[in-house]
Amino acid sequence: MRSILTVAILAAALPAGAAELRFATTSDPNTLDPNAGNSAPVFSLLGNVYEGLVRRGRGMEIEPALATAWEPIDGGAGWRFTLREGVKFHGGEDFTAEDVLFSYERASSEQSDTSSWFAGVDRVEIVDPTTVEFYTETPNPIFVDGIANWMMMDQGWAETNGAERPNIEQGNFATLNANGTGPYRITERQPGLKTELEAFDGWWGEDRGNVTSVVYTPVQNSATAVAALLSGELDLIEPVPLQDVRRVADADGVDTIQGIEARVIMLGFPHDADALIAGGEGNPFADVRVRQAVAKAINVPAILQTVMRGSAEQATQLIGPGLRGFSEAVGPTEYDPEGAKALLAEAGYGDGFAFSFKCTNDRYLNDEAVCTAINTMLAQVGLKPLFETMPVANYWPALRAEDHDMYLLGWSPGTFDAEHPIRFLLATPDEEAKLGSWNFGGYSNARVDELLPQIQAEIDETARQAMIDELVQITSDEMAYVPLYIQPLVWGVKAGMEVVQRPDNFLVLRWIEMPE
Amino acid sequence: MSDLPDAARQGPKPTGRLEEAEVVAPSRWKTIWDADISYSFRQSPVAMGAAFVTLVMVLAAVFAPLVATTNPFDPSSLNLMNGFSAPGVPNAFTGETFFLGTDDQGRDVWSTILYGLRISLFVGAMAVAFAMILGITLGLLAGYLGGWTETIIMRVADVQLTFPSILVALLIFGVARGVIPIEYRDQMAIWVLIIAIGLSDWVQFARVVRGATLVEKNKEYVQAARLIGRKPGAIMLRHILPNVLSPVLVIATISLALAIIAEATLSFLGVGAPPTQPSLGTLIRIGQDFLFSGEWWILFFPACTLLALALSVNLLGDWLRDALNPRLR
Repeated sequence: MRSILTVAILAAALPAGAAELRFATTSDPNTLDPNAGNSAPVFSLLGNVYEGLVRRGRGMEIEPALATAWEPIDGGAGWRFTLREGVKFHGGEDFTAEDVLFSYERASSEQSDTSSWFAGVDRVEIVDPTTVEFYTETPNPIFVDGIANWMMMDQGWAETNGAERPNIEQGNFATLNANGTGPYRITERQPGLKTELEAFDGWWGEDRGNVTSVVYTPVQNSATAVAALLSGELDLIEPVPLQDVRRVADADGVDTIQGIEARVIMLGFPHDADALIAGGEGNPFADVRVRQAVAKAINVPAILQTVMRGSAEQATQLIGPGLRGFSEAVGPTEYDPEGAKALLAEAGYGDGFAFSFKCTNDRYLNDEAVCTAINTMLAQVGLKPLFETMPVANYWPALRAEDHDMYLLGWSPGTFDAEHPIRFLLATPDEEAKLGSWNFGGYSNARVDELLPQIQAEIDETARQAMIDELVQITSDEMAYVPLYIQPLVWGVKAGMEVVQRPDNFLVLRWIEMPE
Repeated sequence: MSDLPDAARQGPKPTGRLEEAEVVAPSRWKTIWDADISYSFRQSPVAMGAAFVTLVMVLAAVFAPLVATTNPFDPSSLNLMNGFSAPGVPNAFTGETFFLGTDDQGRDVWSTILYGLRISLFVGAMAVAFAMILGITLGLLAGYLGGWTETIIMRVADVQLTFPSILVALLIFGVARGVIPIEYRDQMAIWVLIIAIGLSDWVQFARVVRGATLVEKNKEYVQAARLIGRKPGAIMLRHILPNVLSPVLVIATISLALAIIAEATLSFLGVGAPPTQPSLGTLIRIGQDFLFSGEWWILFFPACTLLALALSVNLLGDWLRDALNPRLR
């Protein structure tokens, strides 16, 4: 946060001296295809390589990128974008209105992981070479906020290389190669090992720091990353494990940057499953009392106190306070193991039941330790979780393949608005309407589905908040997810570096200024 | 020397029959005590020390429920708020004291080491037993039968030797995970570990046994057994096997130390014992995260235990190798 305040005016001051940045994070982006993985590690890296029509500035405000201006079309029928001229892709191709249409079709296709961004978009029209219009079924005042991660691809490049559509499962050319218009281009990509970038000379923009070459290494073990930062082998690590924050902060030559991430960690349930994958009769999680019992069984304050070292905040809903649309209507679920046992007995599961409990071990801060603690707490009220942790590369495919019962999920709303998790996590999954694409458990509530389009179209803040409050109350009563806590954000950097830490945990390379 | 007839006189009256000589034979205990191997053991303080440490650890593992203060595998006994208690210092929230401290989940490190030791020793011993049975069988067959049998077995062994054993174990573990249904995975994890380590380790046994069998099978006693019409199976088991066992014992002891370390490595990599039933390797993996942050006890005590166990078993193996080597006597 501190560095946002210390932002220098660099606009005209292009690279004073060339500098190299070496950084590490825990999870390697599982793809370079901007439509094949709707997750922060993917967008964080690709945001430096590809660009959208709009982007977020240092204060998270929406600012022009490949579109220079935009305006609503009369009466809320849609949005009109004016495109920037003279923009080149890394391969030398020109950026055209056809590329926008192609990128829309690609990103909103059935095979795409990002189609929910275009829920409610009726059609896209090219008016002239620099004007593109998006027509929506209902007025959508927050449409522009929702497409900051929508990245423009070159139609010719994608077609030549057989990557017209993303391929999430098998991958294709665009999984390992990238051709964007952004300030950095990828020069080497070894998944899981190393990714190298260098500054793109033909970039249209000017607001770029002195970093000219970048080496990114995924380091799964956070203790190793800390050691590498302290020894000067790395310039930036994300995250700094919570237990090591003090040590890094006290060490010479390195600094920590701390903030609160816009990410809520939660537990998901298999709402629509007929039976659990762990076997047994029926689906106990279909009973709301069982879901409430799970929430009551988990002592979130204890987890935050010990595993998270007192540096996280309990969550009450699927977004954190401070984001647009945060609801004051609900409070946190109190820890009540006896109440949990009573609810289970009432639901007819007094002796517990076996279910699979899946967790990542390299995606969120201390995820495995948090899950181990949850596993213990669930066992203490008589449940029989079959606990399993795996790297995120295996985790998403398992969830997508319905190979899960209860699971851990972290969600950071790309739009910084309460509507985002409703659309992705709470709306009934519907491929056609591009809704509920990360609602792995298939949670479905008619009133929620009814409220969502109204929330999207409502311009009056009070009326909108009232609807969000109602929706949050419903999903909280039904315990659609168990919100656990809001993830803290800690980066470790070399002293003297200027870095902007975005609350969505994206690393923007062009905002980095390395010390001389 | 003049006493000798005296001693003979004290014996039973000679009857001229061979069986009667048994009576003068020393007791079984004395036989063991006088054996070269026992003598060599008594002469080696290192061997005695190593044996003592190993014995203590085995006893501690076997009687873990009696020695441990809590059962770390029983979730109902855990309190997360006890997490990160330093050794011997009362916990800031619960006031409980743990003399070796607790880990991040509030598990008592002392109890967890004892239970972890159990898993490590059990997996190590079973894996070596499995590798030994497999290796001896295949080695005997290869050495005695020769021809195609030998070529196939020994080439498979050669190929396997070119892969690092931990890689073979990882491969087997990965396949097993895919095949076993989720509800059995936790229970099966230990057996998968045993088979994975055992399968990656049989080659040494097979090679040594085959080599020794090649030498033995041309000796006269084997020829004689064959002449009187004993079946090949009986010859291999009753005649050759007892004569090739001493190098096998040496390998088995050293393999035990390696198997314990292999188990720790696999668990350290997060593919071994389930996180709810930590072995020494799992404990070290967990503790490693806290190495920089001051909670040294989570790593230190399990690591020392593993070190002491692996070292003493290894030293025992070394001593046994020297003691059984006729050239060094």
